[in-house]
Amino acid sequence: MSLKRLLKPFRAGLERTGRATLLIWAILKVLPRPRLYLSSALQHAYVIGIQSLPLVLFIAALGGAVTSQQSGAQFTGGLPLWVIGSVLAASVITELGPLLTAIVMTARVGASIAAELASMQVTEQIDALRAMGRDPVAFLVVPRVVAGIIVFPPLVVLADASGLFAGWAVGQIAVDGLTSGDIIYGMRYYFRPWSLIFSVIKGTVFGFAVAFTACLVGLEGGGGAEGVGKTTTAAVVITIVMLMVLDVLLAPVLKAA
Amino acid sequence: MIEFRNLKKKFGDHSVLDGVDLLVREGETLALLGPSGTGKSVLLKHAIGLLEPDEGDVIVDGISITRASSFELAEVRRKVGYVFQNAALFDSLTVAENLWLAQNDENGKRTLPDCREEAIELLGKVNLKPAVLDKYPAELSGGMRKRVGVARAIASRPRYLLWDEPTTGLDPVNADNIDELIMEVSQDLGVTSIVVTHDLDTAFEVFIDRIALLYEGKVRASATPAEILNSEDPVVKRFVRRTRIEAQR
Repeated sequence: MSLKRLLKPFRAGLERTGRATLLIWAILKVLPRPRLYLSSALQHAYVIGIQSLPLVLFIAALGGAVTSQQSGAQFTGGLPLWVIGSVLAASVITELGPLLTAIVMTARVGASIAAELASMQVTEQIDALRAMGRDPVAFLVVPRVVAGIIVFPPLVVLADASGLFAGWAVGQIAVDGLTSGDIIYGMRYYFRPWSLIFSVIKGTVFGFAVAFTACLVGLEGGGGAEGVGKTTTAAVVITIVMLMVLDVLLAPVLKAA
Repeated sequence: MIEFRNLKKKFGDHSVLDGVDLLVREGETLALLGPSGTGKSVLLKHAIGLLEPDEGDVIVDGISITRASSFELAEVRRKVGYVFQNAALFDSLTVAENLWLAQNDENGKRTLPDCREEAIELLGKVNLKPAVLDKYPAELSGGMRKRVGVARAIASRPRYLLWDEPTTGLDPVNADNIDELIMEVSQDLGVTSIVVTHDLDTAFEVFIDRIALLYEGKVRASATPAEILNSEDPVVKRFVRRTRIEAQR
């Protein structure tokens, strides 16, 4: 295998990083002019938020339910049962709520944004925008990114609530001897307001990451129907990797506080 | 006036344009002919900076497209209407909203209802009824989409119209209708037009002032339709003969 082929993935990664930097710069230039994107961003936020809410709540509820069941299975006989409430609150608020919301939104919204932009690229709609003197970043990217940033924090808070409620309800049924009072005591013992703030910060960062990556990869789309499919897959894979990396990078923020 | 100066463009290792020199004069209608894959559409996209050349330049009304600031480029684009091969209508927007984007610049304050009367007039110019305004592109036939694409291109009252394969994919009747439309629009608005086509009927019989034949990345011939028909250049003769035979099949 030639050196050129070996280096190809690194080169592609560097090129994408370069494009990402340019796109961030282009977004920053548009942000001070809300007139160009705010109404469209609010429309996107409303549609994305309302349509995604049931799925986000359902997945978060499953996450909370599994957490209380599994911690119950591991702690019975070893640790006091109220610790399950602490584990539930810690897991759901700092990790499962934001991450599951982001993964659901990647599949549901990120994929849709990437496919839409790639399809617009293939059918020359983005060229048509530029031909009319319109900036595709202001018209297509900024509204979606701003919508992601607006809509993620409330979704994450609701996902946290859904996960905690499901964990509380399922824990009482699935774990012998665990009472509502135990779980609530455990939750209150663990809970600090900063955890919730951290959850919202994570949600905001994830909201930006999901929408931005979908736009970045979507705009690179090309090559007909097959290309749109590949672009959508790439957007989902890259976003999920990015979310996990951001999750690791953000962990010290919780510790620092 | 649009001038292409020694324009070169490669995609990967494949050279598409290899030093194109072409001058499009004020008010003329020029047909850009050539075999498939010779870069006709690529050349057209360079005219308004949708593609950047590897070498060379495009000058539109004295402004170098390669060196233009974003403000200058936006100015040039406002003077140009671009009719895309497959219309390139925004499929999430209605026809009215598609036209409104072109009627208004991004800082414009005209609302959709403000532009409705003008949009109806635009549709009239391309022989479409006002009822089309509230339809989505997916609800229109191919010919109707092309017409809406033309209406959108002329909405900003351009000085230049760039037509990318306007009759491709249409049946003969619709293709004739579009040919007539090109003629009417060009005459009514007094615009300078470049028509990318491989349809010789469009190029020879309808309205064209001059034909440029693109071959192997360069302009092989640039002359009036009559001169092209009588050309002794073997490449030109072969192209004309072959295209005629394909059209007769």
